Amino acid sequence: MAQRRISGGKLFITGEMCTATDGERAVPVNDLLDRASQRSDKMHSLSTLLTQEMDSHFPPYGRMQMPRPADCHTSALQTPNDKEQALQVSESDLMSLARSLLQAWVDPLAVLSTSAITLPHPSKSSISSKIQELQEHSKSLADGLDILSGKMGPSAQAISFLPYTGGTDLGQDRVTILNKFNFLLSCLRRDSHKIDSFLKVLRCRAAKLQPELC
Amino acid sequence: MYNARMRTHLGLVILCVLSAARVCSSTSAPESPRKFDCRSREKETFSCWWEPGSDGGLPTEYRLFYTQERLREVRECPDYVSAGANSCFFDKKHTSIWAEYTMTVVATNALGNASEEFRITDVMEYVKPDPPVNVTVVVNSSAPSPFLEIRWKSPPDVDVRTGWVTLKYELRVKQNDSKEWKTVDIGSETFFNFYNVYPGLLYMAQVRCKLDHGKWSEWSNTIFAEIPKNCKPTVVTEISFFYLDHQVEKIPLLMGIYILLLKRNVVKQCLLPPVPGPKIKGLNAHLLKSGRSEDVVNALMGNQNFPPVAAWTEQVEDFLLVSDSDEWLLTDSFASEKNKDIFIIPAGLHLGLEIQCRDLSVDLNTWEKTDDSKEEAKSNFLNMEPINLPVEKHEFLNGEEMSIQPLANTSYVDIQQHPTLTDYSRVKEVNDNTILILNEEEIPHGLDAEEVKSEVSVPDDYSRVKEVNSDVVFLEKGDSADKPIMPLESELSKGFCLKMIASGYVDSGPAFSVK
Repeated sequence: MAQRRISGGKLFITGEMCTATDGERAVPVNDLLDRASQRSDKMHSLSTLLTQEMDSHFPPYGRMQMPRPADCHTSALQTPNDKEQALQVSESDLMSLARSLLQAWVDPLAVLSTSAITLPHPSKSSISSKIQELQEHSKSLADGLDILSGKMGPSAQAISFLPYTGGTDLGQDRVTILNKFNFLLSCLRRDSHKIDSFLKVLRCRAAKLQPELC
Repeated sequence: MYNARMRTHLGLVILCVLSAARVCSSTSAPESPRKFDCRSREKETFSCWWEPGSDGGLPTEYRLFYTQERLREVRECPDYVSAGANSCFFDKKHTSIWAEYTMTVVATNALGNASEEFRITDVMEYVKPDPPVNVTVVVNSSAPSPFLEIRWKSPPDVDVRTGWVTLKYELRVKQNDSKEWKTVDIGSETFFNFYNVYPGLLYMAQVRCKLDHGKWSEWSNTIFAEIPKNCKPTVVTEISFFYLDHQVEKIPLLMGIYILLLKRNVVKQCLLPPVPGPKIKGLNAHLLKSGRSEDVVNALMGNQNFPPVAAWTEQVEDFLLVSDSDEWLLTDSFASEKNKDIFIIPAGLHLGLEIQCRDLSVDLNTWEKTDDSKEEAKSNFLNMEPINLPVEKHEFLNGEEMSIQPLANTSYVDIQQHPTLTDYSRVKEVNDNTILILNEEEIPHGLDAEEVKSEVSVPDDYSRVKEVNSDVVFLEKGDSADKPIMPLESELSKGFCLKMIASGYVDSGPAFSVK
């Protein structure tokens, strides 16, 4: 088996490999979904903290001038926007949406990560470490969802392509850089919350006999 | 008459002025509303409030229009009433999460209007649930100490059954007269057992919740609980009860104990008759008393396969503790000296013996300076010159012969390159307890021999040793089991210690010797 790390993600995968190879020690799907939800919860928590940390020293500079959420590179993806809609979406579609959003952030997170190191912001080291943590969680979660979706069928495995076209350079001057950084973080916060919500709805639906998981 | 006309004129003028003034101050369009805030209690609906500006003295109407991120059309607020004055309530049908709302509030009166635009980036930013409800506390008085069973329920309008919402709770408890709260993160459960309470004190507790990493709710109602004083006492209390409250009953018991103490020898004979001691082959009980523990050890371990050694032999059989000095060897001449035999004990068995570690790069001859009796052994043992060492045979206490290969010296530093220790193959049997353990400064976790042997590098020449029948084992300790076997030199350069637990080298150990 792959080297075991403390991180839940690796354990997640190892558990899944158990399922594949050894039926007796199979990890139930509920358990995998639970772990995935915990990871997405952590991601959402981190992105929330990041936006708060940015705001603490960077009061919204002309909120009106900031790019709108509609300008997020993932906004083209049609997602449920309230509870009723979310409860009507099929499990496969929920999984596909979560995976598409997760995949869409691989490149931008890398851009954020490199930019954070030289960010003109007093908390840049704390911000930088949170972004790295986000990247790790994102990777682990993506791996886990790959395996989960494999159990759910082809429609769960379909990923919508949402390319990030913002480039690797956030700008030249301090204001532009901070604005762009802030904007990306707000998009990330929104998308990480979507991923978290969809996975938790999925988890609750899969655990019909265990209401405490909801 | 003149005065009356004057007064009337004056009154009219005043009236005109007043009415003109009144007309002047009321004629203005309203100011635009300011301060816009919203709140969602359950991630399904939300309300927004604005603060009206000046109304210009005329009845002013406020209307809210909004667009959503995905909607092209402009809509008007669906409900101006449910959330109170100057508010707009968006019900489930009109609430979209993760969508941007652009709100425009227009104030209108007879003379004009004014508007202001407010942007709600995401309703989630305004989520703040109601506090938890039905908070109850029960004092549980069961052993060993009392605790508070605190329970609560999620706020009623939050739907926790579908997974759409994740509630997390926080509890805080404090003594009634204390200023500091003890706060506990709860997760998603709706109960908690709080143990840090003491009898006779009054406690208060509150709970709050947050939804999906949003804002915390207000604290719930405070609940109070008093721990009764006659709860089951803790151990300390019990002892105090024993001593303070039950003196009278214990007096006869104390007297009995006193008598027993006086006659303890008799009692001992009665209750604990002497048990015949164990008979160990080769062990003479008198040896124990005579203090020559080296005999004891030899008798215990002399002829037997020391289990760890037997297990190690496959890996470590190639390692022999060899000295090139007669003085160090287990000869008859040693019998009269106490400090010549070296007993090396697996690292796991410290035996409380003092271990001195030195970097082997240090001149090993200076390793021990505490004892004259150690000098000779030390110099021999630490004399690390590769030589061809003759096998020597010696008689020992138990009359068995022991072949000892003289100790190699620098070979311990450079064993892998040791080409000349072919004579080791002659050693068929080593009947003594000479074990050398090469250790790090500290023995981390009592690594036992099993672990150690994985670290040992095996010079080719040692492989010729067929059998090591006693405790002559050369063990080397590595940093961790994960590391591959490395050349001895580099291992040693890391500060490995040459540890020998031998009578002569240990300050406090017993003196072992073999006759």
